[in-house]
Amino acid sequence: MRDQLDVVPDAILAGRAADGDTAAFETLARRYGPHLRASARRLTGSYADADDVVQEVLVQAWQQLDTLREPAAVKAWLLRLTGSRSIDLLRRRRNHATLTGPEDDQPADTVSPGAGPETAVVAGAGIRSLKAALSTLPEEQRRCWILKEINGQSYEEIARTLNISPASVRGRLARARITLVREMEDWR
Amino acid sequence: MSMPHETFECGHTLEELSLYLDTGEFPDPPHLESCPECRSGLDSLRRLSAAGEELFASDLAAAGSGNDDWMKEILAHLALELRPGRSIPLRADDPADTLSQTEGSVLALVRSVTDNLPGAVAGKVRLDGDVTVPGEPVSVRLDLAVLFGHPLMPSAASLREDLAEALARHTELNVAAIDITITDVIEAPREEM
Repeated sequence: MRDQLDVVPDAILAGRAADGDTAAFETLARRYGPHLRASARRLTGSYADADDVVQEVLVQAWQQLDTLREPAAVKAWLLRLTGSRSIDLLRRRRNHATLTGPEDDQPADTVSPGAGPETAVVAGAGIRSLKAALSTLPEEQRRCWILKEINGQSYEEIARTLNISPASVRGRLARARITLVREMEDWR
Repeated sequence: MSMPHETFECGHTLEELSLYLDTGEFPDPPHLESCPECRSGLDSLRRLSAAGEELFASDLAAAGSGNDDWMKEILAHLALELRPGRSIPLRADDPADTLSQTEGSVLALVRSVTDNLPGAVAGKVRLDGDVTVPGEPVSVRLDLAVLFGHPLMPSAASLREDLAEALARHTELNVAAIDITITDVIEAPREEM
């Protein structure tokens, strides 16, 4: 049975999960957990925060699955929830930092925004220079870029996540890309 | 190659090119073929996009598998609450007793009978009709995925019989119809993720 759930499409799993089938929900969580984690790590820059975000997203998803109109789109939905939760966490962290002082700004295990999660995979030159270039971006531009390129969200979805207009998303994304292109070409 | 001022000599901007790559919208598409600056700008943006895909692949690999301990730990902490759904009354021998079963348990029964049929996996299940009133006609509607190599129509026919029998045995629902929609035929094993 476990094997059968592993091979069925998202819509079947999402339909079952909405009916209360925890096994189907867990299959979805295992299927997309790594993508959610990768997205949350890039956005929050913290391993521990990223796993908290993934857990919160899964709790919210279980509660709200029956409101999902298009069960086949469950992956995009989970990524949108991950984007929103990660941004919420960054806002809370910033508010907290203003209250307690800048030295508490980052948790101890913070991955610097440009540095990637540690990996045995030897990163290629393209990845290394992109990571370095990402760390030079203003935070708001970096978020737009990650929501677009890692989460695959549309301009409208990013606009809702960041609470800005689609036109601002377009502008920030373009400025982010201009800077990234420039930085990466300097790198060569 | 040097990149880029935000506005090219031709008057177009990198912002326009960035939008073009995402949406295909551009005020003057033929221009992109002929303008060296715009073409070079698009090349740079495409290289960036390729680097972004590489970065994502590397991040995804670093995130581990969904079958690893980190996910097991998260799942163990979720404590997913049950979805009982509507309450379906059952006959009691003693009128002082109130017996019922949950809609969720009937949906689980339908899934379990379906999944037991070789090659069949249940999807969404609906009970149409007022199940809270005894004797009201109820239609059972079921999405079904069938694994490749299993015959579709015989599967659906024998599943309908199995479901009718199980529902008659384990519920008091007045099942007027069992509608099965085959939503997916699964061709081949999914790639390991």
